[in-house]
Amino acid sequence: MAPERETMGLDLEAEADRICAFIEDQVLVRFKRKGVVVGLSGGIDSALLASVCVRALGRDRVIAILLPEKESSPDSELFAREHAEKLGVQVETVDITPIVAAFGVYEARNRVVRQLCPDFEPGTDTMKIVLPADLLEQDGLNFFTLVVGKPDGRQIRQRLRPRQLNEIVAAQNIKQRTRMVQLYYEAEKRHYIVGGTTNRTEMEQGFFVKYGDGGVDIEPLSHLYKSQIFALARHLGVVRSILERNPSPDTYPGGSTDEEFFFRMPFSEVDVLLDAWKRGRSVDDVCRDLGYTPSQVERVYRDFQSKWNASWHMRIMPPGLSAEAQPAAPTDEPTRTKPT
Amino acid sequence: MSTTKATLKSFIEESFLEGTARTTVEDDLSFLEVGLLDSTGVLELVDFLEQQFEISVEDEELIPENLDSINQICTYLESKGVSTG
Repeated sequence: MAPERETMGLDLEAEADRICAFIEDQVLVRFKRKGVVVGLSGGIDSALLASVCVRALGRDRVIAILLPEKESSPDSELFAREHAEKLGVQVETVDITPIVAAFGVYEARNRVVRQLCPDFEPGTDTMKIVLPADLLEQDGLNFFTLVVGKPDGRQIRQRLRPRQLNEIVAAQNIKQRTRMVQLYYEAEKRHYIVGGTTNRTEMEQGFFVKYGDGGVDIEPLSHLYKSQIFALARHLGVVRSILERNPSPDTYPGGSTDEEFFFRMPFSEVDVLLDAWKRGRSVDDVCRDLGYTPSQVERVYRDFQSKWNASWHMRIMPPGLSAEAQPAAPTDEPTRTKPT
Repeated sequence: MSTTKATLKSFIEESFLEGTARTTVEDDLSFLEVGLLDSTGVLELVDFLEQQFEISVEDEELIPENLDSINQICTYLESKGVSTG
């Protein structure tokens, strides 16, 4: 990607300073804690978070927590360790497989997979769920397909029914929620806070798990689009293995990418179009300046709006009633008086 | 109104209007433009069409041209051999 398209106008060094000042202020002044725990996943967002935390607080106030489970890519732990080693931070590893298994996650999900693919063999076959590819080129609706991969290379694809989709997603989300619980345990026992890794592209579209990876104390990266995350990570020296890796939630044993699972186009396209949509730029302006066709921009804008609408509740505190607007009790009701 | 169209309209209104300001769905209303269908909604609609009208909806048929309004769904159902007259 061209550097200017990746940074989207960001002054990388100045932005790194601004993020570091934010982290320092939040951890030491606002929260009055000693440091930050970072759930280092082997992906770009958590790698960048670890880098800025070390730059802000020093390596002795940052702990990298690795939380693999049996379906994580082996590369994830490898790359996370490589980056932690480069930063010189303390690393703690907790295999969350037994906890996830105790919740019945694998069983519940595999039961649904077998409804569609009766000969599915966990541990041997892979599985993932994907949306239709290439939103820019095809006018397809958003529907999820289960993809089972066989050891001989065959792929079985079955469209999911609503109940099946919900059951798979509900089970899978327990993985991120287990990680959240573990991170809070590691943070609280050290009087640290939990650092968040959600970026702006994910935040705007709801691509995180509520009370999972969204359950954190601070979000130092939530104002940066994914392309900017890559640019800043490169600027701050995140290890090459992570910079060159295709972003993935890494929660399915079939290695689905963020693009397959949610965005339906590369981040380089998502980010410039999402930014245009957020700024309220007209379809005509975007076509003229960025070289897309009107039908492409209309399709993408519609997809953004749909995901924004579906995820509104993930960006706010749980809705409640206002205490100020509480109706007063009727005046003729007996009032309790102090015993004399 | 044909029985097919009435059945379809009733399903859309019962399934997707709850919590919206709308009480009815016009035949040419674009579901996507007004945000009535999300990814789960699409699957629910397809589930309904397959069961109610005993058809099989192929993945490549899941496009707005076929499913974005009551009129478009009726045209699509006719192409699958379902009478909507």
